Amino acid sequence: MKRPLLFTTGTMALAGLAFVLVNSLPGCRPSTTQTVVTGDAASRVYVKPGTHDEFYNMVSGGFSGQLAVYGLPSGRLLREVPVFSVDPETGYGYSEETKGMLMTSHGFIPWDDSHHPELSQTNGIPDGKWCFINGNNTPRIALIDMGTFRTHSIIEIPNSAGNHSSPFTTGNSEYVVAGTRFSVPMGDDAQRDVPISSYKETFKGTVSFIHPEPETGKMSIAFQIVTPAVDFDLSHAGKGPSEGWFFFSCYNTEQAYSLLEVNASQRDKDFIMAVNWKMAEQLAKEGKGKRVPGRHYSNWWNDKTHSSETTVVEDVLQLDPKEHPGLLYFMPCPKSPHGCDVDPTGKYIVGSGKLAALIPVFSFEKMQKAIAANELEGDFAGIPVLKYESVLHGEVKKPGLGPLHTEFDANGNAYTSFFVSSEIVKWNVEKLEVLDRVPTYYSIGHLCVPGGDSKQPWGKYVIAYNKITKDRYLPTGPELTQSAQLYSIDGDKMELLLDFPTTGEPHYAQAIPADLVKPREVKFFKIEENQHPYVAKGEKEARVERKGNEVHVWMTSIRSHFAPDNIEGVKLGDEVYFHVTNLEQDWDVPHGFAIKGAANAELLIMPGETQTLKWVPTRVGVWPMYCTDFCSALHQEMQGYVRVSPANSNVPLKGETVSVDAGV
Amino acid sequence: MSTSTKSIAIAVMALSMMAACGGGGTDAASAGPPGAPTLEKETGGSKAKLLTEADVTLGDIDNGMAEKGKTTYDVKCQACHSMGENRVVGPGWKGITTRRKPEWIMNMILNVDVMLAEDAEAQKQLEQCLVRMPNQNLSMEEARQVLEFMRTL
Amino acid sequence: MRLHPLSRVLLALAALALALNLVMPIWRIDLMAPQYPEGLFLQIFHDRFTGDIDKINGLNHYIGMAHIKDEMFPEFGIMRYAFYLLIAWGLFTAAMGRRGVLLSWLFAIAAFIIWAVWDMYVWGYKYGHDLDPRAAIKVEGMAYQPPLIGHKQLLNFDAWSTPDVGGWALFSCSAVAAIIFAVEWRRAHRAARSV
Repeated sequence: MKRPLLFTTGTMALAGLAFVLVNSLPGCRPSTTQTVVTGDAASRVYVKPGTHDEFYNMVSGGFSGQLAVYGLPSGRLLREVPVFSVDPETGYGYSEETKGMLMTSHGFIPWDDSHHPELSQTNGIPDGKWCFINGNNTPRIALIDMGTFRTHSIIEIPNSAGNHSSPFTTGNSEYVVAGTRFSVPMGDDAQRDVPISSYKETFKGTVSFIHPEPETGKMSIAFQIVTPAVDFDLSHAGKGPSEGWFFFSCYNTEQAYSLLEVNASQRDKDFIMAVNWKMAEQLAKEGKGKRVPGRHYSNWWNDKTHSSETTVVEDVLQLDPKEHPGLLYFMPCPKSPHGCDVDPTGKYIVGSGKLAALIPVFSFEKMQKAIAANELEGDFAGIPVLKYESVLHGEVKKPGLGPLHTEFDANGNAYTSFFVSSEIVKWNVEKLEVLDRVPTYYSIGHLCVPGGDSKQPWGKYVIAYNKITKDRYLPTGPELTQSAQLYSIDGDKMELLLDFPTTGEPHYAQAIPADLVKPREVKFFKIEENQHPYVAKGEKEARVERKGNEVHVWMTSIRSHFAPDNIEGVKLGDEVYFHVTNLEQDWDVPHGFAIKGAANAELLIMPGETQTLKWVPTRVGVWPMYCTDFCSALHQEMQGYVRVSPANSNVPLKGETVSVDAGV
Repeated sequence: MSTSTKSIAIAVMALSMMAACGGGGTDAASAGPPGAPTLEKETGGSKAKLLTEADVTLGDIDNGMAEKGKTTYDVKCQACHSMGENRVVGPGWKGITTRRKPEWIMNMILNVDVMLAEDAEAQKQLEQCLVRMPNQNLSMEEARQVLEFMRTL
Repeated sequence: MRLHPLSRVLLALAALALALNLVMPIWRIDLMAPQYPEGLFLQIFHDRFTGDIDKINGLNHYIGMAHIKDEMFPEFGIMRYAFYLLIAWGLFTAAMGRRGVLLSWLFAIAAFIIWAVWDMYVWGYKYGHDLDPRAAIKVEGMAYQPPLIGHKQLLNFDAWSTPDVGGWALFSCSAVAAIIFAVEWRRAHRAARSV
């Protein structure tokens, strides 16, 4: 009677011990966060074979220096446009014609860090004509022609270092801007050779306004405004009522020059800088500016000569806001603002303090009133600082952690990315109410709504450009793919539809309806209009000529042979220039050209175009050349030879294509 | 963007619309999700109708036209066609107008993709040459000039 | 009256189970956030921490929390002696087979648990509240004290605090000891009545 009781209890105690031990091993903790994808997501992103996507998505290639083009909603990669980095695939930066596009005051620069694509606008709406993108490292802005999806011009920005706050556009693309991330000392050599610790006294910031010529796309710096030394981060133009103003977020108002991680995160508020650009434009016209040293290159691609043209400018027109009251104002903005986004109505400016736990929304109307009533908090290095409360429309309270960037839909809603809390939060601009939130996988940076920074958002989707990919794709060693995520914003709730991998680091991106772009597409270049100095318009003009130690080959390519394809008389010590003209006059028939031992890359020549590869043979022998882009059933036959003789040889120079009479 | 490119684009759009009106039988517009792009058949203008005998009339050889045709030949044709009888890539042109009907030649120049898809003679030619003749995007006028040039050979 | 032999065997096993605390983690903190699908965890041994300490320190750095280091905890130097004592005490209880000794062991275990929980609370409070004023992210009115046990939302993280093998062993061992004490107490009283 007693014994069983004791026995049972003891056994139970022991069993209990064993049970909890076993249970504690895997842990009675929550399972990992699961992605919630609704059932019909697949059909909503499926683009049938042979059909087209609805939107072009222009995505920054980040440290690849390029611009990637995707179709939405499929997320299919359509093209990687070479911009700031050489591209052996197309010969960009390797062919003699394209090298000039990458020339700067520092010489030939084969790489940059591209950040923010921005489509050109007409009346505040993306028009599909151009896409701008900034080069961060060696400050530059590039203009990509949406008709050719090629880099059409690149301008270097002087007195700038880290061109991050760029290349946002005014409503009719009168200007695109370039705000320097690093402030730097400027002027002549002696003025620039200063101790770093003299930051507060000798360093200055600049924001530059670059004018693209509407007809040609050639870019020049219209004027540059000197500012107190801070770091500029992002910017956006005013529109509607705020047309004529430009807003720049700035951090490091602590003016730290070392360990910014700590030293530039101390103040509770940094600034959004408001620039009256219409006034600046007027001042520049009236000759109120001063030309100061600022050597920079402006490179332009000529579609007729199929070559780059470079202009070197020695100075730049600067405006000093201290001499022109009313040009610049600072609005206090919490904690190191990143995004600086103007809503479609142009009434509100949203600052995203990346270290803040709220989103301040500024009112342009209140800003104008505060300026009129002189409601100032004081000044910052001589520039008036408006009172926070006077310019504030309101704050979105506890929206998430680490707000970075905001875009808008056409219904008065804003979508803000939160890096730290890894989510997108939808909120109402007028009421400042949080409406919905959805996690991103993982750690979103920028986001994009088609037309989301313009007067007329097309809406439909919000795309997250993430900083961390982790377990979302098949692993590929230590370096994983970069990634984006597509969410539907048609309903009240945001819905995750698709993950798609991206090239380089996707910073900002823009999307535009395909119908605005497709009609612009160039299909080939007309051979009659080719004005390349070494064009061969037909095989009759194919030939070889010597100019000293330079051998020039006027070469043609057509399915499927080169002319000439047998070249003799080249000697060691010669520089051989193959000027290859693609004689085809149809869409989608590029020819490639490669020769053994070429110390650069291939050429990829579009129909009607001429491109030049420089080849310096290093050994005697007969060397092969061939077409690299599969062109026809006889592509593998599209080849030829170059004979290279010793320096002192007497082999006569000749180039020919020898035809065996094949009959009809 | 040059205006010429625009006009090409517009022409292509117009042609593709014509193709759709002509009962091209594309179901993309109806089957796709609402707002999805419709399937566009953009094949460099090759959807235009083939010419018939009545469309090409030959008179006495016009030397002015033939000369213009020669200029076009030098840039766009000579890489593959000799002025003799020998084949380079495509057939030599000497006497070609006696072997082929004028509208057949015009169609090959202007509409090679359709010809290679539909015309038995053109297909036979491809079997010999193995390279699809490129569409060199000549205008009707240019093609006619080239034909005139052929007649002089 | 001596304890039942089976009780004494069980007590000896329970005392030995405590030794798990010398080789296995005692406690565990898990952190979940969307961007950490695999989760972050921290395990507390009697003499050290293991787990994603560097990652956690890296994150906490933004909000100004102190960096976790073993040296911060003098407890790590002495905890093993507490376990030696508790194990020896348990084995002694089993050997003696006296209810009074068992009761004293129960009190010793309880005292240890109370001390450990209090110590952890104090540390958690300090850790969550003493923030570096130079931190990059400051959220008004926000403290980051981890939960003592169970779940708590800390900004974008779900934090879970749970016993690990050692902790379960400790709780189970005290439960077993308490059950045996209750059973033995009943047995003794019944025996007294039946005499």
